[in-house]
Amino acid sequence: MAYNSFAYLCVFLPLCWVAWALLPQRLRSWALLAGSLVFYWLMNGAYTLWLLLAAAVTWALGLWLGRLQNLQAETLPTLAPAARKAVKKQYTALQKDLAAAGAVAMVGLLVWLKYLPFAAGALNAVLARLPFALRITAPQFLQPVGLSFFTLMAMSYLFDVRRGSAKPAGKFRQVLLYLSFWPHVVEGPFDRWDQVSPALLDPPRPSYQAVTFGVQRILWGMMKKLIVADRANMYVKAVFDDWTKYSGAAVMLGTLLYTLQLYAEFSGCMDMVLGSAQCFGVPLAENFRQPFFARSISEFWRRWHITLGAWLRDYLFQPVIVSKPMLRFGKWCHGRFGAALGRSLPVWAGLGLTWLVIGLWHGAGWLYVVYGLYYFALQWLGQLAEPALLRVCPALPGLRQRRWYILWQVARTFLLVNLGMLLFRANGLRAALEMLASLARPYTGSLLIKLDARDLWVLAVGAVVLLAVDLLHERGVRIRAALAARPLPLRWAVYCGAMLAVMIFGAYGDNYDPAAFIYAQF
Amino acid sequence: MHTMEEILAILAQVKPGLAPAPDEELVRTGQLDSVEIMSLVMALAEEFDLEISPLDLKEENFHTAEAILALVNRLEE
Repeated sequence: MAYNSFAYLCVFLPLCWVAWALLPQRLRSWALLAGSLVFYWLMNGAYTLWLLLAAAVTWALGLWLGRLQNLQAETLPTLAPAARKAVKKQYTALQKDLAAAGAVAMVGLLVWLKYLPFAAGALNAVLARLPFALRITAPQFLQPVGLSFFTLMAMSYLFDVRRGSAKPAGKFRQVLLYLSFWPHVVEGPFDRWDQVSPALLDPPRPSYQAVTFGVQRILWGMMKKLIVADRANMYVKAVFDDWTKYSGAAVMLGTLLYTLQLYAEFSGCMDMVLGSAQCFGVPLAENFRQPFFARSISEFWRRWHITLGAWLRDYLFQPVIVSKPMLRFGKWCHGRFGAALGRSLPVWAGLGLTWLVIGLWHGAGWLYVVYGLYYFALQWLGQLAEPALLRVCPALPGLRQRRWYILWQVARTFLLVNLGMLLFRANGLRAALEMLASLARPYTGSLLIKLDARDLWVLAVGAVVLLAVDLLHERGVRIRAALAARPLPLRWAVYCGAMLAVMIFGAYGDNYDPAAFIYAQF
Repeated sequence: MHTMEEILAILAQVKPGLAPAPDEELVRTGQLDSVEIMSLVMALAEEFDLEISPLDLKEENFHTAEAILALVNRLEE
């Protein structure tokens, strides 16, 4: 049941809301749980068992961690100072082991269901070079929807409980609701337990403003998905699936349209997801913040898929760098190569690992490894070049405040992101390289591939509207609040106009292929 | 106890050209990103022989030079 389907928007969501609103306050979280399990069951059937298993392991380990922390807090003050340190060390080690066990269980589930064929393929490539015949055959499983999302959220829950920044859930159903909550189980965002659990477990009263704001956001997401993303998909699919036929401007336009498609679709899906949750008074984390206004690659990734970047920063990048082996590595580098490399090499190693994981999180394949390493190389080269640039041009910090320089940085980042998008969408590494090379060859055919001139106009206007809305958000304008302050007839004219726009310009019907949400496959 | 001058010197090493006022916001203004913060952490650990845990890696500990100084002094206690 896709978020933009009739069944979801006109049956599932209204039914859940009515049940949730009519039930007494103490039973509302049960309504959310029932709705989430029905939603997940409809999408996955028996594969729901994997989600239940992940929730059970997470709940049990979280509870155990909480009990250990309570026991530690009760025991330590009763001990002599000399014994206190040793006992504290024991408790810390035990909690660390429990959190690590949870991480191993979740990563194991991910690897078992998603990465085993890729890992076996990579291993077989190595084994094929050996003098004896040995091949590994990996079992193939169907991947449950949202696997990469609920396993990472389960890990963040355990790490937060271990760090003491979140209290563990007392009941299994609470963890199950957190992991399975239907708005974020398919494509995220990666919500944190301490931020989302108050509204999930103790839902607020139904509110007119929450529902109108939520519905407005869903409608905006629908516009992005149906008018822009699904229309752009027609061109993108034709060019990327049959790349040998196209070159030059056709590939360039295909790449630009894929960037537009992915942004409109993923951020549109997030609008539908956040709008759905808002109707129930649950504030989910924002996943996008005007990414195409970024002035650098690292800033782009702080604005694009924000919660994935934040997850990896908090639970992989930072802990790896302050880990004892990495600090020892830093000291070793310091002794060998001096202070600058002593502090930089461990950070770059951690950064490389993080980008590798980002690549592999998106898919089990070498193309995704290259995709991750492409962004690592950009960020690394940027850091490496900075001191040299400052030496060559000492006025650079001042120039960076100038409007024209900011525009140049934004344009450069956009170009580099588009190259990354080409890598991401290409049908394999060879296809990506051939498409890149084909950019230099002129294209003499028509650019109206699968789309007519009217479609291209709709896409151009859609892109301008997206840009204008992002520009308003960048300037701090809260569009829905501003609209709510307008007279009723004007508000309804806007809503009706938006619905009409979806009906008239939406890419559905006989001439269009309905496109599944791209991030739902992760 | 360490001094503000020491912290500012390390900041300038980690990010050449960075010379903030002690209470100037560094993280939200984008003057320090997460990679630069980790370079700073490595530099602080090396310079002052500190043990910094993931629990210390909060934005509030790095958002100004004053906050960084307070973190360093707290970790040395």
